Amino acid sequence: MIDWLVDPLTHGFTVRALIEIALLGVTSGAIGCWVVLYRISYSAESLAHGMFPGLVGAALLGLPLMLGGATGIIIAGLLIAVVGRLSADAADTAIAVVVTSLFGLGVLLALSPDSPPGIQALLFGDPLGITEGQLLVTALLGATVLAALWFGHDRLLAVGFDGDAGRAGGPSPGLIQGLLLILVAVTVLVGVQGLGNLLVAAILVGPAAAARLLTDRMKPMILLSAGIAVLSGVAGLYLSFHGRVAAGAAIVACILLAYLSAAFLAAAKTRLVRPTRKETPDEPVTQLV
Amino acid sequence: MFEAFSLPFFQRGLAEILLLAIPCGLIGSWVVLRGLAFHSHAVGTATFPGLVLADGLGFAAALGAFGAAALFTLLTVAIARSRRTGADSVTALALAACLAGGVILASDVFNSGANVDTLLFGSLLAIGSGDLWLAAVVAGLAVVASFFVGQHWLARGFDEGASRALRSDSALFDAALLTVVAATVVATLSAVGALLVSTLIVVPAATARLFTARLSTLLTAATLLVAAEGVFGLWLSVQTNAPPGATIAVTSGAAFALALGARTISRRGMWRAAAVAAALLALAGFGAGCGSQSSGGDGPKVVATTTQVGDFVAEIGGDQVDLSTILKPNTDPHEYEPRPSDVQAVADADIIFRSGGHLDDWTEDLIKDSGSDAEVVDLSTHLPVRLFGEEEHDHEGEAHEDEGHEAGGEEFDPHWWQDPVNVRFAAARIESTLSDANPAASAYYQGRLRRFDNQIRNLTRQTKSCVRRVPAGDRKIVTDHDAFAYFTNRFGIETVGTVIPALTTEAQPSAGDLADLEATIRRENVKAIFPEESVSPALSEALAKDTGATTEYSLYGDTLGPAGSDGETWLGSMKSNVNAVVAGMSGGKVTCFGGQDG
Repeated sequence: MIDWLVDPLTHGFTVRALIEIALLGVTSGAIGCWVVLYRISYSAESLAHGMFPGLVGAALLGLPLMLGGATGIIIAGLLIAVVGRLSADAADTAIAVVVTSLFGLGVLLALSPDSPPGIQALLFGDPLGITEGQLLVTALLGATVLAALWFGHDRLLAVGFDGDAGRAGGPSPGLIQGLLLILVAVTVLVGVQGLGNLLVAAILVGPAAAARLLTDRMKPMILLSAGIAVLSGVAGLYLSFHGRVAAGAAIVACILLAYLSAAFLAAAKTRLVRPTRKETPDEPVTQLV
Repeated sequence: MFEAFSLPFFQRGLAEILLLAIPCGLIGSWVVLRGLAFHSHAVGTATFPGLVLADGLGFAAALGAFGAAALFTLLTVAIARSRRTGADSVTALALAACLAGGVILASDVFNSGANVDTLLFGSLLAIGSGDLWLAAVVAGLAVVASFFVGQHWLARGFDEGASRALRSDSALFDAALLTVVAATVVATLSAVGALLVSTLIVVPAATARLFTARLSTLLTAATLLVAAEGVFGLWLSVQTNAPPGATIAVTSGAAFALALGARTISRRGMWRAAAVAAALLALAGFGAGCGSQSSGGDGPKVVATTTQVGDFVAEIGGDQVDLSTILKPNTDPHEYEPRPSDVQAVADADIIFRSGGHLDDWTEDLIKDSGSDAEVVDLSTHLPVRLFGEEEHDHEGEAHEDEGHEAGGEEFDPHWWQDPVNVRFAAARIESTLSDANPAASAYYQGRLRRFDNQIRNLTRQTKSCVRRVPAGDRKIVTDHDAFAYFTNRFGIETVGTVIPALTTEAQPSAGDLADLEATIRRENVKAIFPEESVSPALSEALAKDTGATTEYSLYGDTLGPAGSDGETWLGSMKSNVNAVVAGMSGGKVTCFGGQDG
């Protein structure tokens, strides 16, 4: 049993993967609650493709890829916010329009003979290929995002639950939504380098959706979500080590398992509580902190 | 300007996009009205496990794609039973589940080949009759469904996600909508690929939606817009020699931006500014094109599929062939997407030289769909050394090392040019094919063959003596993926392991396998891990860091390097690889080809 726990820790790459998943788990778990509340999962899943033109542009100009990726992904986030507000259609339509157009543009730019091969793959990492530099970037990013969420908590909450109520004083709801998209964009950028595209979407949405099933209050939800993300990440890495399953996929499987368990718990709780309480399950979070 | 319309492959692409305009316009309108854009994108991406299964078990890819799409839809519905999870979160969760399943299937079950990747990228330039039939059937389905069930979809109100759909009383009708969406997405896959499905389904309908709230107008306008943007994009792609999918994506994105700008401005009465902006954007839309890559020599028109084969033909044919090489240097053959000039070159070719195996599987469709009647020479047949069982390697690297080579049932390892002896045979075959086609230049070809053959023999001799200078116990390497079996087999080097478990770029290793590989590297005292020039080195570097091996020396694997690099020619790439391998194994003590004796 002890060996079972300790064996993975004797390899440098698993230790780095564990640290990365813990750091990103806390960050994504926390911001994921806002992703779920603001219903921007599509952005979380697709923004990574929107940075393609920025990435190729940086390669063609000889700038660092990371800089191009950051510029590209932030522009994509802003475009989504602008198009969403101007077209006033379902938000995910705006995301589809912006991301596919940008991706197409990136493909065309990448036709240039000066563009390095497999340029997007260069930025999509694998949890087992983490470097110390990436750990540092992840830690810095995590601190920044968590600080922003901490200070913006009340505004995010006000706008998230009632866009109109959020209009009374303070920055406008549009600004808040735009800023949140930028935070998500930066998290996705660092996340795809550390974990790969598949895992980022899952870790941003899964733990938060699970936590939302278990609690109505925002702060406990954030703590729970971060906890679920870290725990699923660690469990997934052990599964990958002992069960020989591809690492990213194993972590996703654990996140989904956590979600299903939460759904089961929530269903059981509802059944027990129903006689004493009027159930309004479609109502979002009602009790705010 | 319009001569493109006479090309057979162009006409088939045109027919496909016009057929697809019907389901994409009709169903796309419903996708936009009901807020299903994320769902439709996710259905396309979630087909991945179906494609892996279809490839692994050998059934039709479209069937696998539709099966996976259906599974995804069911998963969405199942997860959505929990009412407190938002529709978008449900979609994201179901998508993650499907993709994770696909990665596990590709990495841990089938060790999938690279052809899985090409299925995720479609192209309007490689449309077969099967694709046309599928599009026609789905178009019929979309018309029938819109006509008979459409009013029920309308009654359900707007802007609800897929997850909410099946909770209503009209669950059956909504199930029908999701099914037709899935069918439309699957039919669209072969035209533009998984990542650009929204280009045809969402973007045109969203553009039309900006100007109308009437359903009948929306359905008609969206359908016409898909057709117009598709045809224009396809035509523009032929004019500029760009891939059509991306061209259509940019065209329809620009159209949406124009429409949105025009609407926003017109509401503020700024029509003149709008007209100016429209004109400027339309001009900007015509991007720069790229010329044909033909060498422009005399003699027969020859197409080579891969960079190596192109180099062999150039060595033999010299200026007595008109050579076009399809794959460009330093691009990953796994990510190939045909461009109009490629299809044109194949259609016009007298002779096509293929490398063979899964590296250029796609040429079969390309040749068939282009209407070419060229002589196709697959160089991978009739080789003195043919290795098998590449897909069966394991990281311990001891048990299967030799028996796999004879097992004929296993998949052929297509990297035959890594063995110089094979290249001598291939070069002779190229010479005889060219001489038959162009007897007047036969002596010229033979002369160039003799010169090339001598160079190969020198290379082989020097490499052998060089490898012998490395102590026998140190002749061990670890590579990124298993592209070097012919090379190691020829020169008595042992590959003790490979980092990536399968050839598709979607595959990932497990932590356990990587740990075993690390133990092997330590036990065997392997001094170098060799990343490939065109593959991300992150995993190799992580391993190297922990074991003290070096990743300093990279190898040319599936592709030659760009002009001006060491790997510009096959001979150059082999010398560079030999130098790298020998230096890596000996800790930098032995070098083979310096500046003077190279």
